[in-house]
Amino acid sequence: MIKLTEVVARYPRAAAPAVNGVSIVAPRGRVTAVVGPNGSGKSTLVRALLGLIPLERGAIAVDGEEIARLDPRERARRVAVVPQRESPAFPLPVRELIALGRRPHLGALSTWSAADTRAVDDAIMAAGVGELVERSSDELSGGEWQRVRIARGLAQRASSLVLDEPTTFLDVAHEMSVFELLAGLARDGMAVLLVSHQLNLVARFADEIVLLHHGRVAAAGSPSTVMRGDVLERVYEWPVVVVRDPAVGAPALVPLRGRRD
Amino acid sequence: MLFAIASRRLALQRALAVTCAALALACAGRGDARRDSTPPASGGSESTIGVDDFGDTVALTPAKRIVSLSPMTTELLFTIGAGPLLVGRTEYDVWPAAAKSVPSVGPGIRPNVERILAARPDLVVLYAANDNRGAARALRAAGVRTVALKSDHLGDFARAARFLGAVSGRDSAAQQALDSVHATLDRVARSVRGLPKPRVLWFLWDNPPMVLGSGSYQSELLAVAGGENVYRERREPAAQVSMEDILTRDPQIVFADPGADIQLKTSARWGGIAARRGWRIVTIDDTLLNRPGVTLGMAAVSLARALHPGWRGP
Amino acid sequence: MTARLPSVLGALAIVLLLAMIAGVAFGNVHVALPVTWRALRGEGDPLVVAVVRDLRLPRVMLAALVGGGLAVSGVSLQSTLRNGLAEPYLLGVSGGAAVGAVLAVAAGAGWLAVPVAAFAGAVAAVLVTLGVAHAAGGRADGRMLLMAGVVVGAFANAAIMVVLANAPPDTIRDATWWMMGSVSGAEWRTVRALALYLAIGAVTLWLVARDVDALALGEEAAAALGVRVARATRLVYLVAALVAAATVSAAGLVGFVGLVVPHLARATGLRSQRALLAAGMLIGAALVVAADLVARVARPPAELPLGAVTALVGVPFFLARLRALR
Repeated sequence: MIKLTEVVARYPRAAAPAVNGVSIVAPRGRVTAVVGPNGSGKSTLVRALLGLIPLERGAIAVDGEEIARLDPRERARRVAVVPQRESPAFPLPVRELIALGRRPHLGALSTWSAADTRAVDDAIMAAGVGELVERSSDELSGGEWQRVRIARGLAQRASSLVLDEPTTFLDVAHEMSVFELLAGLARDGMAVLLVSHQLNLVARFADEIVLLHHGRVAAAGSPSTVMRGDVLERVYEWPVVVVRDPAVGAPALVPLRGRRD
Repeated sequence: MLFAIASRRLALQRALAVTCAALALACAGRGDARRDSTPPASGGSESTIGVDDFGDTVALTPAKRIVSLSPMTTELLFTIGAGPLLVGRTEYDVWPAAAKSVPSVGPGIRPNVERILAARPDLVVLYAANDNRGAARALRAAGVRTVALKSDHLGDFARAARFLGAVSGRDSAAQQALDSVHATLDRVARSVRGLPKPRVLWFLWDNPPMVLGSGSYQSELLAVAGGENVYRERREPAAQVSMEDILTRDPQIVFADPGADIQLKTSARWGGIAARRGWRIVTIDDTLLNRPGVTLGMAAVSLARALHPGWRGP
Repeated sequence: MTARLPSVLGALAIVLLLAMIAGVAFGNVHVALPVTWRALRGEGDPLVVAVVRDLRLPRVMLAALVGGGLAVSGVSLQSTLRNGLAEPYLLGVSGGAAVGAVLAVAAGAGWLAVPVAAFAGAVAAVLVTLGVAHAAGGRADGRMLLMAGVVVGAFANAAIMVVLANAPPDTIRDATWWMMGSVSGAEWRTVRALALYLAIGAVTLWLVARDVDALALGEEAAAALGVRVARATRLVYLVAALVAAATVSAAGLVGFVGLVVPHLARATGLRSQRALLAAGMLIGAALVVAADLVARVARPPAELPLGAVTALVGVPFFLARLRALR
């Protein structure tokens, strides 16, 4: 479980905090999505979770322990984070890339064990990247690259998984398969926290949505609670209409053309 | 010109004068005070250990196979009759002509130690530049005697002659060569004594302008030959200066060796200034001057001739 | 992949061994192989023994250590800074060492002082680079380090020019030779000192190699895998720079090795940092030993500067590799 409590985080030399008093709970067995317009602080939350930005106020806890008190490797054993962007300077075989997910479990002097191999194999199977294993990282398409990175996160065998915009550059089929994967992981007991701008898929797959605006929580709750035309229009500053998708029964956002003034 | 010995007392006076002149020259060419105060064994004395210009101790016993790595020392060894002992020289040691028959082992700065060892010497004479310390160490570690000698001042020549005399078993020949050179220098000095001293700029290089300072044997020779180095207050052997500074010193004669004088003659800047100021540009004979060796006496004579037109010789 | 590692390293070790044998057997004095072998054991003509044991062997050992040191330094830096053009000399090490050495030469200091001054200069430059990067970026960011290193290097070059501009010709020649790199003055004490530095540095880099594998993915990905990014980057930078500084103080500036060898190591197909460190060390050592042999026999009796030979050898390799990448 991941719990953010009144988190305030500011970039160095910035006038205002990027995240200004945000509280989120991402429990086990559920998919929690953080959405919001560009610059609302979504990615900043992930960076704060990674310890790359200091918290001005508030706390982030994973499975009851504050991450500020945890050794980075210990934190990485509890929560796996799949960052938004990643561009390795040198190509790596996919299996080795996924194997890097075992890094939090391997000290400088530890050797690779059968347990590590099992964790990697399980992650490959769970993420469905079995046929990519022998390829090189520079040969993968955008979608394949994402799924491989998710596999790496799964290899960490953490109880929580955080993903920052996991479906950028993915086509419909791949997007759906990622979301279905995430839903399956949550069903198996993981706490899945995902940052996304893909409102419609989030509305279908997330158990809880947190809508951020200018670093604060504008709305939080089930998809039907948050996906309301007036709320979304105010936050995204664009005319929208929310319809209930008859095929799947989830609310869907339909942006309108032009400004209604 | 011979100097006739009229009586024993006169001979003694002459000997004293020569010794004083030699000492004066050695002092004038002073670079390292410590070096001058610890001279090598003079011919025939009991001490058989000397200290060379790297500060290393050298046994002064005669060697049988010598590699000589500087023009001054190669020429000296031939002059004192030790030519047959030479088994190696640098590619630049071409005086006297007989030296060319000795095999060359390459450069004298950062020499090739393996090549030197291949000639199986028991003594290697090096030029005492810092670059050669490594080679000296390597040769000593391989069991070969080394002597490092400077060749920057007139005093260095005297020291080198004594060292080389001792390590080639030709002490008296070395002393004779030394005496002969000093005698000539002394004669030249005395014969130009009354003459006016022209102001001399000794040009070395154009970009940047470099001139001879007083820390060199050439400048010492200039003083012996009755000239005044306009840069004598600069103690380094080669001083970097500016054209304006040269103009303020206003020399009367500009000396240059055959390589450098081309720079002077083709430089419009120098040509214009020299013409306007009436400077006399003289190319000096550098085969006599490029090393402070046995040709020092003749070098002084040639300088004196250039400095004092109409001078008839020592 | 794990099955390949021993065979790759084995092949590279054989190449290094052959290079070292060639380095000891060839030179200006012709020595046949069996004679060389006896000379190594101290038997035979004392001249040959002196040439082989006291001249060539320490040279070959020093060349191998210099090559190995520059290689592990370059491998670590390229992965950590995520830049295939990074190399230890680019980070202020060479400039600082050169300033130290040139100052020592100009001051007429004894021959022992030059390597010490070079090392001190390199350390100072490394610390200044870290400080500049920190002040400018607030963190030891890879890009910042590279830029700070370039700035420090440029400043060092200016300082060298100032010192040499009015220096006597002896100083200029001595300083220039030092900057061109050479193992001709190799002595056993230098070999021992460098071996110690290299051992400590290589072991440290090997221990943090798993972190470097993560760092090579990017800052966020590395942090996600539990790496203390700023601390690990600084540590790698410091150790890599110090190892390089030790090689520079022992042998002057031997360029291109730190840049080219990591690419050669990757060309063997190895990918993990630990494997690259091992392979790189062997390749770097063989490269510099071979370069020193060429430097000695290419233009007898004079010697070519080692740095010139490594550049001449390194450039075609690098170009070939770039073409293969396309």
